[in-house]
Amino acid sequence: MKLVRWLIVIGVCAWAGQYALALVLPNLVMETVYALGGKSIGYNQFVVNRIPDEASRSIVRPSPDLLYAVCLYDLKDGPLAIETPIAERYWSLQFYQMNTDNYAGVTNQRAEKHRVGSTMKMTLISRDDDPTTYGGTVIQSPTDRGIALLRASAIGNRAAQQAALDASRCHPVD
Amino acid sequence: MLKAFIKLTAAAIAIILLSGLFLARNITSGFGTMAERNGDWETNISTGSQDAGVMLKAAVALGGLLASTQENSMYYRLSTVAGEPLRLNCRYKIEGKDYNADWWSITAYGWDNYLIPNAQKRYSFNNENLIRNADGSWIITVAATEQPGNWLPVGSSGASRWRQFSHQDFDLLLRLYTPGVAYIQRPQSAPLPIVTQESCQ
Repeated sequence: MKLVRWLIVIGVCAWAGQYALALVLPNLVMETVYALGGKSIGYNQFVVNRIPDEASRSIVRPSPDLLYAVCLYDLKDGPLAIETPIAERYWSLQFYQMNTDNYAGVTNQRAEKHRVGSTMKMTLISRDDDPTTYGGTVIQSPTDRGIALLRASAIGNRAAQQAALDASRCHPVD
Repeated sequence: MLKAFIKLTAAAIAIILLSGLFLARNITSGFGTMAERNGDWETNISTGSQDAGVMLKAAVALGGLLASTQENSMYYRLSTVAGEPLRLNCRYKIEGKDYNADWWSITAYGWDNYLIPNAQKRYSFNNENLIRNADGSWIITVAATEQPGNWLPVGSSGASRWRQFSHQDFDLLLRLYTPGVAYIQRPQSAPLPIVTQESCQ
């Protein structure tokens, strides 16, 4: 009888425990990706990846139809300036905080088509910074660290998209 | 005293292990009950968003890290056809046309969530590289053996087999970039490709 009681308590705690695990899992995965990524590509700079194939195993479900550039950012020493030319075909810049939320993003599609041909310049600031003290486009990150991810179409002739990603910069504000 | 400590420690370890198993079961079944179903495809409009629930965020962290919110892209996943998990010994037909999005693609992923190794180095088809019929419609054949036309090769995943928790050998992911309003407002009824199982060996 005592054993059954133990088993019931363990079962109920384990059932509730899965939600506690689920709560910490996104941060755990992001911290791992951030730490491992930082060791190989560094922080506060865009690094352009080759087109994903079967050997691309750092991030799950990469798209083989996209070019990616990633900036693992850390705002503890101040804001970052991001400059990126916007190619004609599909392009987007998405920002992720350390719990995996895609908290901000810009694209060159539909209502944002007017961006094509321009160079996007923005300032990425921490949650403690005052956005009104910066001019232009300002993105406020909910966490000091996070990931900025550029995606550009790799379909067909991708020379322009590749050039746009290669020319993208993510660096401390001067 | 020591006996009680050992009992509590054993119980704590059992709880952690079981919690992990419950969680793995919950999230390796895909979006499961968190999903909007559209035929055999399933999606979740909260993917990537700050509004996503705890389980969805955990599922995305493991199976779709750095997914965008629906305004940028929508993801429909298909892991079963008529209730049967996708198998490497079966051949599947995907029939479709064009969809209201700036561009779209269909990619095959192994059960390990990575691109499937294959000699052709073909992992997906998109709206531009398909061979189409005169009316613009198209058919993709998904199979492990060579097929005429738009053949999407599948095969063994790159990870060790003992790590496989999922029922299916692989799955298909439809990406719709900058999707039209129908997908955002009515994801369960917006037009999608039809997938059928043709044969199994």
